[in-house]
Amino acid sequence: MPSSTAPEIVVTGIGVASGLGHGKDSLLEGLLAGRDVFSVLSRPGRQAPDGQTAFMGVEMPEPPDLLPKRVARTAGLGARVAISVLDEAWREAGLDDVDPERIGLVVGGSNLFSREQLLAVRDYANRLAFIPPRHGHVFMDSDVCGLCAASFAIRAFANTVGAASASGAVAVIQAAEALLGGRVDACIALGALQDVSYVDLLGFRALGALGSEKFAGQPGRACRPFDAEHDGFLYGESCAALILRRAGEAGPGYGSLVGAAQVADGQRGPEPDPEGQQRAIAGALAQAGLRAADIDYVNAHATSTPKGDEVERETLLAMGLEHAWVNAGKSILGHGLSAAGAVELAAVLLQMRAGRLHPIRNLEHPPEPGLRWVMGGPQTHRIRHALKLSFGFGGVDTALVLRAPQGENYGL
Amino acid sequence: MDRDSILAIIIGQVREVVPDLGAQPISGGDAMADLGVNSIERSEIVMNSLEAIGLDLPMVQTHGPRNLGELADLLHAKLNRT
Repeated sequence: MPSSTAPEIVVTGIGVASGLGHGKDSLLEGLLAGRDVFSVLSRPGRQAPDGQTAFMGVEMPEPPDLLPKRVARTAGLGARVAISVLDEAWREAGLDDVDPERIGLVVGGSNLFSREQLLAVRDYANRLAFIPPRHGHVFMDSDVCGLCAASFAIRAFANTVGAASASGAVAVIQAAEALLGGRVDACIALGALQDVSYVDLLGFRALGALGSEKFAGQPGRACRPFDAEHDGFLYGESCAALILRRAGEAGPGYGSLVGAAQVADGQRGPEPDPEGQQRAIAGALAQAGLRAADIDYVNAHATSTPKGDEVERETLLAMGLEHAWVNAGKSILGHGLSAAGAVELAAVLLQMRAGRLHPIRNLEHPPEPGLRWVMGGPQTHRIRHALKLSFGFGGVDTALVLRAPQGENYGL
Repeated sequence: MDRDSILAIIIGQVREVVPDLGAQPISGGDAMADLGVNSIERSEIVMNSLEAIGLDLPMVQTHGPRNLGELADLLHAKLNRT
């Protein structure tokens, strides 16, 4: 990872899909506006067939048709969305000019197609002899890698990495390590769409992680990170691709990754661990050669679960980050699970370029002692150093430190 | 079900699985390989055709035909034997 001697990593291309639309322009505009895109989930397989559920969250519009029809009909939603975000990022970063054997892909996420597997069980239960041959490879997460490498000239490596809701951030870390180790000259970190089924959502609900009983029937009010009325996370479809390069071999891009840390905190399940979170932040700051005082913006993990939000606030206070602006992408996008870390890192970089921070939706009664919340509307702010946190079930804590490109006019 | 109806079903499945063939004419004399159909697509076309005509047959018993017409002949013979 970058240090005083190692080369820096820059992000030179971004592609995003979320409930706000396809493309990074829709993401930035919708975030700054704090647009409400929550509703009762309606994609097939998202509600129990007995009509006993009304899970709320965010679903994205259909991705653009970029694949040949014969390929598109065999690709799951998550795979088609991956192609869409990769296409956007690839073209922006000009990867057609890089040797394919020096381009790698790390896809963050595991168990990506569970909704489509549930639908397959439903559709073929009474005619098992006719399961389509393609099911033998498209049920695997690695189909995202295969489809991406079959559609774009990626010929170094392509594989997945699973770290629950920190998968997107871990993909970024592993992509950066592949660059710093000299394995590739460009590396794509893709936070994959986690296409959850109603069975997964029932599990989250039984676990006590999912909102929202308090705001049943009011999807737009249900997701409220850090607010006194928060009662759990809401699912949100999303996906993002980031193109990482070594600084000096590409322009300054959106900004530099100057510190990153991932720790295992020893928790098996969903319990947040303040020591692990602090260790991750301290590690990332040390790598960046920065102090907490240098961080002026924190993009929080902030899922809207009472315990998670509270532990994260304590972590930020304990680390001396009370001066930094704080916002939370999940308040607008919902929780993308495997995709969240990558999508929210994209949001950090887009806000860095725009010189504006998006508000935390539904934060009406923040806890005390507080942090420097972005509330009510967007905030003009020139980011110099940002901290991005992502945590995952199974005891994964990550922290990424980003530095804005140098230059008088950047982010103004 | 007669042999030409089975051939029509097979050709319909070729168009379903490989929509990129568009309006290109397809007849019983065409071989799937010559139409650019890959091996996984061939399996899906045969499997979908079997289901459409109501034949539950091990895939291995569908091997051998050199074109769509011969496949229709084979499936027609199997159907009449059941």
